[in-house]
Amino acid sequence: MTQQQDQTIKSRPMTGPLEGIPLPDLDRLPDYEQGFWEATHNNELRIQKCSACEMFRHLPTPMCPHCHSLEYLWTRVSGKGVVYSFVVVRNPVHPAIREKDQVPYNISLIELEEQEGLRVCSNVLNIAPEDIYVNMPVQVTFMPTVDEPNVVLPLFVPSK
Amino acid sequence: MTTNSADVNGIRDKAAIIGIGETEFSFDSGRSELQLASEAIKAACDDAGISPHDIDGLIRYEMDTNLETMVVQSLGIKNLRHWESVSYGGGAGNAVVGHAAAAISAGYCNYVVCFRAANLRSQLRLGQARNPGRIAGGQGVFAAPFGSMAPAHQFSLFVRRYMHEYGATSEHFGWVAVTLREHASRNPRALRRTPITLDDHQNSRMVVDPLHLLDICQENDGAAAIVMTTPDRAKNLRHADTLTLVEAAAQGSGPLNEGVIYRPDIAMSESVNTARDLWARANLGPKDMDALMFYDHFTPFCLFNLEAYGFVPFGEAKDFVQGGHNIRFDGMLPTNTHGGNHSEAYIHGLTHTQEAVRLIRGTSTAQPPNKTINRVLSCSSVAQLSAAVIIRRG
Repeated sequence: MTQQQDQTIKSRPMTGPLEGIPLPDLDRLPDYEQGFWEATHNNELRIQKCSACEMFRHLPTPMCPHCHSLEYLWTRVSGKGVVYSFVVVRNPVHPAIREKDQVPYNISLIELEEQEGLRVCSNVLNIAPEDIYVNMPVQVTFMPTVDEPNVVLPLFVPSK
Repeated sequence: MTTNSADVNGIRDKAAIIGIGETEFSFDSGRSELQLASEAIKAACDDAGISPHDIDGLIRYEMDTNLETMVVQSLGIKNLRHWESVSYGGGAGNAVVGHAAAAISAGYCNYVVCFRAANLRSQLRLGQARNPGRIAGGQGVFAAPFGSMAPAHQFSLFVRRYMHEYGATSEHFGWVAVTLREHASRNPRALRRTPITLDDHQNSRMVVDPLHLLDICQENDGAAAIVMTTPDRAKNLRHADTLTLVEAAAQGSGPLNEGVIYRPDIAMSESVNTARDLWARANLGPKDMDALMFYDHFTPFCLFNLEAYGFVPFGEAKDFVQGGHNIRFDGMLPTNTHGGNHSEAYIHGLTHTQEAVRLIRGTSTAQPPNKTINRVLSCSSVAQLSAAVIIRRG
């Protein structure tokens, strides 16, 4: 990991979920987080939406931080958004990342089109990290993790 | 109508920092965290000219493994009249100093110590990913499966956004690194003392693009401690000729803190809130500060702090740090004259307040020439909870 990056050679794109790293324990999640993972298991991206003031929110919380209602619905969103920010991890800090030679990978913060500031953390697939840019349009896709096929991750791909 | 707490300064000049102490900083201390804490607190008491038996108040970092009872036993404290723990690591930096000043102001105790002691290199390395296997909820569930597992991963997400919005580049961060290292090169306590160039910074390994290795603070072992009492008592102690008083303190947050990266505008530091309260309480502004100690877990946070605390308008910090001369010890705003987390040692911000005391005493190894240091701001923009104190000459 000490070699310098050659700016002319692009790194390999990510093609699927990272392997061997921490995943949600679906049986032990708090009730207000379960809907997110139940939806991705059905290849849907659903975000908490307050039943009273109709504001989306993520990370999930038991109470609406805007109007303090306890009622919410897991509301399906289009899965369209833009890259709000992204980084490219080149130094592995987790043993499985190191052992399985999974660097580089990107961590991207996707702003969903439904509401300003509504963001999810994810990875953008099928593109060299050098080609990712802020405000790049992306579209959700779903892939089960290798380690726990019941955990399906919402990942993103560049959209036209 | 009630008074806004931002306008109240109940601690103004009511607490004096009478002693600072630390262990050596290393990559493998070879001893327990309790021993490190005990040594640093003893050193701070020696500097103050008091006995550890005089201590009756303790402010610890919640993250510290040394519980109050352990420290009481180790130092032979007779009666701990007051104790507190402040949450987080860097987020507790400066906050512990403010809490200690408040405890003295309230009369809860006579001599209070804040400390941080940890083998953050030879034992638990916070920069490495912990491996819990399966996560039972919380922000990690929505981050770790995508490989966001270390502080550098989250923090660099808003560095990227900041670069996008304000046009800052890696070279601007590099000038911070070069300057901090130059300061550390004069400091025998510092772990990294070999001067670096901008090219060294640019050629250092990319760890989490946009952060190079030389943008990221080191991980090390060590401990630091600060002792405070009332100014009246301080006048009869070792540093009676140069009193260092806590003039004001503030803490603040942004909304939607958990997970750091979900705040409405992650390019703007949450510490704008902390800064607003601090300046209102002190009835002072950035122009009144003779030096700046900022929490440098990552070099870009120099720019974040300069803007959040109002030293420069938003978007102009990159020009202010360009070339490094403004933030050098002999520049307009001497900044992290000890070398900071970046090059001296990473003790979760407590060394920054210690350096503020040294600057006022005139004993920094990068003491600004031809300039008397009367007031120092020690502050953080950690990214979810931040704190700041103003230390002034009494």
